[in-house]
Amino acid sequence: MGHVKGLKCRECGREYAVDPIYVCEFCFGPLEVAYDYKAIAKAVTRKKIEQRPQTLWRYRELLPIDGEPQVGLESGFTPLVKAENLAREIGMDELYIKDDTVVHPTLSFKDRVVAVALTKAREFDFDTVACASTGNLAHSVSAHGARAGFKRFIFIPASLEASKIIASLVYEPNLIAVDGNYDDVNRLCSEVANKYRWAFVNINIRPFYAEGSKTIGFEIAEQMGWKAPDHIVVPCASGSLLTKVWKALKEFQQIGIIKDLDTKIFGAQATGCGPIAAAVKAGTDVIRPVKPNTIAKSLAIGNPADGFYASQVIKETGGYAEDVADQEIIDAMKLLARTEGIFAETAGGVTVATMIKLIKTGRISREGTTVMCITGNGLKTQEALQGHTAMPHHIKPSLASFEEVLGRISREM
Amino acid sequence: MKMRVRLTFPQELIKEPVIFTMAKQFNVMPNIRRARVTETVGEMVLELEGEDASLQEGVRFLKAKGIEVELIEGDIIE
Repeated sequence: MGHVKGLKCRECGREYAVDPIYVCEFCFGPLEVAYDYKAIAKAVTRKKIEQRPQTLWRYRELLPIDGEPQVGLESGFTPLVKAENLAREIGMDELYIKDDTVVHPTLSFKDRVVAVALTKAREFDFDTVACASTGNLAHSVSAHGARAGFKRFIFIPASLEASKIIASLVYEPNLIAVDGNYDDVNRLCSEVANKYRWAFVNINIRPFYAEGSKTIGFEIAEQMGWKAPDHIVVPCASGSLLTKVWKALKEFQQIGIIKDLDTKIFGAQATGCGPIAAAVKAGTDVIRPVKPNTIAKSLAIGNPADGFYASQVIKETGGYAEDVADQEIIDAMKLLARTEGIFAETAGGVTVATMIKLIKTGRISREGTTVMCITGNGLKTQEALQGHTAMPHHIKPSLASFEEVLGRISREM
Repeated sequence: MKMRVRLTFPQELIKEPVIFTMAKQFNVMPNIRRARVTETVGEMVLELEGEDASLQEGVRFLKAKGIEVELIEGDIIE
């Protein structure tokens, strides 16, 4: 038995029944899931959560499903790594990494949102799921959908390199390569979603899909010992993740799971696609769309649907947003790997580099607890590091040759 | 055919009757749902209704004027 009251427009507050719809018929504002928090407060305790399996579904009362979880039963509850080496290097007190490089099954936080979206799709009795994606989302819909037995349609721009789509094709979805640019694919998918009775995860299922991101926030609070940290740095593409991490903490406080909440939320973007950071830095709440040009492809959303709401959360919590150049992203990916042994995708580089910038400019204090959300695995974007990593030492198959190199390495260390 | 769009007006166009001109010139019916005008920028969320070709021409006209025209859903490719 779920605790969803219905859907509610974020702009005009108009209420709707639980249906696969995503936009208010009156003001075209986005719809969001509304819950019965009084009932949830009665139904959930810390102890109850702790007794459940370590997956994202341990917070099921705060997720928009009516029955049992059906997809992604092993997803979520990734490690919260205390990053002592990195903290020392940057000069911080207490730094943690929410490590979503290891989400089951496709190694990015999209496995969380898709788990919720496809469970909801099943409840709505859809037999086909779809998305438009160039990477992580496509992987996750393809994989989760395969196991759950959905027909799957993935839309990509035809210009996308073949190597990017192998990690989706292996699950044998119907991959539709659209002969057009990103804008054409966006427009087409919007039309397809309106015409066919499919669960388009980030269109008509979006209100439910997006709620899956809250589980990162829930997990951070639980893994910090049922406390909210002082700062959280979140990478921004559509801006949805940032708003949901904050919503999660507020919900935990509202139902009495955590007591105090004084967390500042910070947004991280690439300079080549930073419409949210630009608005925050300019002190305006108007998000001006941009044409993305960055190596951080998973954050390359030029017209972010939740950009306005993300900037509002940043303002409300006293956080800030920054953007970082491609070289800073690469350097940060290497720094994270070298200090903490975590290989993050380019978006992780954006988050680490942004946090360092925010520390240097004093926006994040060196004292207190800081959590960085690292949202995807570096194995997915290895090409970004081409020519930027250490080189192997080539030797002849002889001890003498090895010892010559060893001597050189020892002198350098 | 109907189309739901978000328009962002640069400052110099806020005082111009651009929507009216587009509606008249291309026979497109605008239905404004939400609007916000600040000192520096104007934002408008609206539905456009008309023949497919008229809608395309109307949107092209707005873009040529310097107005940013985006889908209400935002960018869908993630």
